[in-house]
Amino acid sequence: MKLAAERVSVRFGGLVANDDVSLAIAPGEVLGLIGPNGAGKTTLVNMLSGFQRPHSGAITLAGSDMTGHRPRAFARAGIVRSFQAVRLFRGLTVSENVEVGLVACGLGRAAARRRVRALLADFDLLRRAAQPASSLSYGEERRAGLARALALEPRFLLLDEPAAGLAAAEAEDLKRAILSIRDRYGCGILVIEHNMALVMSLCDRIHVLGGGKTIASGRPDEIMADPAVRTAYLGRAAA
Amino acid sequence: MATLPAVSTNESAGRRWLPLVALIIVVLALAGAAEFAPIVMQRRITQGLINLVAVVGLYVFVGNSGVLSFGNVAFMAIGAYVSALLTMPAAAKGVFLPDLPAFLAAAEWPVLGGALAGGASAALVALVAGFPLMRLSGISASIATFAILVVTYVVLGNWTSVTGGQNSLMGLPIYVGLWTSAGWAVAAIVIAFLHQESRSGLLLRASREDEVAAVASGVHMVLHRLMAFVVSAFLSGISGVLLAHFLGTVRVETFYLDLTFLIMAMLVIGGMRSLTGAVAGAIVITALTELMRQAEVGVTIGTTTLAAPGGLGDVLLALLMLLIILFRPDGIAGGREISWPFRSSVAAPEIQSRKPQ
Repeated sequence: MKLAAERVSVRFGGLVANDDVSLAIAPGEVLGLIGPNGAGKTTLVNMLSGFQRPHSGAITLAGSDMTGHRPRAFARAGIVRSFQAVRLFRGLTVSENVEVGLVACGLGRAAARRRVRALLADFDLLRRAAQPASSLSYGEERRAGLARALALEPRFLLLDEPAAGLAAAEAEDLKRAILSIRDRYGCGILVIEHNMALVMSLCDRIHVLGGGKTIASGRPDEIMADPAVRTAYLGRAAA
Repeated sequence: MATLPAVSTNESAGRRWLPLVALIIVVLALAGAAEFAPIVMQRRITQGLINLVAVVGLYVFVGNSGVLSFGNVAFMAIGAYVSALLTMPAAAKGVFLPDLPAFLAAAEWPVLGGALAGGASAALVALVAGFPLMRLSGISASIATFAILVVTYVVLGNWTSVTGGQNSLMGLPIYVGLWTSAGWAVAAIVIAFLHQESRSGLLLRASREDEVAAVASGVHMVLHRLMAFVVSAFLSGISGVLLAHFLGTVRVETFYLDLTFLIMAMLVIGGMRSLTGAVAGAIVITALTELMRQAEVGVTIGTTTLAAPGGLGDVLLALLMLLIILFRPDGIAGGREISWPFRSSVAAPEIQSRKPQ
């Protein structure tokens, strides 16, 4: 069962954000999606989560066409995404933040609260459960965002720059957390990230976009050695 | 290993219900104290409790969705007219509404049936109007609700055969007193609290905080907004019924911009993000307007009468709303629910670490 973008293209006026891009994530795999700013990474994640409809091509889950479905249909199918900013529900408590996904998928509030307590304990947030999300530190916000995403028991987790703003030690903690999520839940994880050290050590495969097109795709060592990737990042002279 | 919280599950559950119990006690204490007040003061407090029902009704939608609604006074008008038409004596309807359709002309429902029909009619209109409108967000949604107010005002003011047009309908059964209004105020608080704590209420509050993140979590925002709009309209309709049967008369002009401003000011000043704020706003503004009314009447010392200039109450109300918006956007309640012993149910926010912009 794979989540796949099949030859998808998106245009915003004259700008081609994604041009004939194909990509697939398998369960239990960590896939890195990298590329310079404006390469079309977030647009691709928007398509894979239902926030953007491709102008051509298709989004499929286990072979069935999800193109044009609403974001909540993707969420309920187990495709969960995060955003560049954590986007917690700041006026709700930490516990309620994690509860929302469970309740949205049909669980009663009492049952949801029991599940939430276990998740918050996993992310060392139990003592913060009754406090408003607006009172969390940045690192705690990141952890709460992950707990919220995992509450939906994702089959595929799409993380948009999860290490943005984190110190090196926090990024290392995040890497361990992502691998632990992969091992525990068996979900496929797509990570957009600019922290190359993190991407190279975390991902099983890497997909590189540049100018909306696929430049390269392969194992981290293959990507590191790919001249087209060097050109995209460092310019033609460096390559 | 994470440490267990100091609060047990049972205590947490108790705390969740505490705001409801506290607000009911406040309303009952207010009504109980009014028993010993002069009759004029009793009538003011009764009117204040009717306003409280209207503000709580407005809160159910505005507070939980974050979308301002200027249309709830229209639902009050619908509730008032439906109840009036169903409960007025047939003889009175023969005088004021000679062209009324026969089934309405003959209707003489019991007052409780009339009240529930009034609330249900308002809810039905909200369901039909809300179906397309709840897809809108922000200022577009607010303008659309204002359109509901204008359309209702124009229709009621010109549907002469059924509403009497711009004339007053008189002869309504006057049954709303202190304890009737207090009873409905308690009912409104219970309904609003249960909605707020329901699955739908939680999901709506999540969409209030961040629409995109809520949708990404699987929230059907339009559905939950519509449900809140319907509940909100029901309570607003009930408050219109109460007002009509408190005054004994109903007139379309009563349900327009002045009342919209008053109810909205109560919610903004009290704090639109909590039920406690809605109740606090209704009580504080009712007390303030009564004080201003008495100041405008003035005191006579010998041959001299010292009185505040007319309209001072309205000016002060607008000024207070402005100050609240500028300096305390979450209103008197600060966006939190009342908690025993009158402290926040959540800990004060800790000093936050620096976050990237």
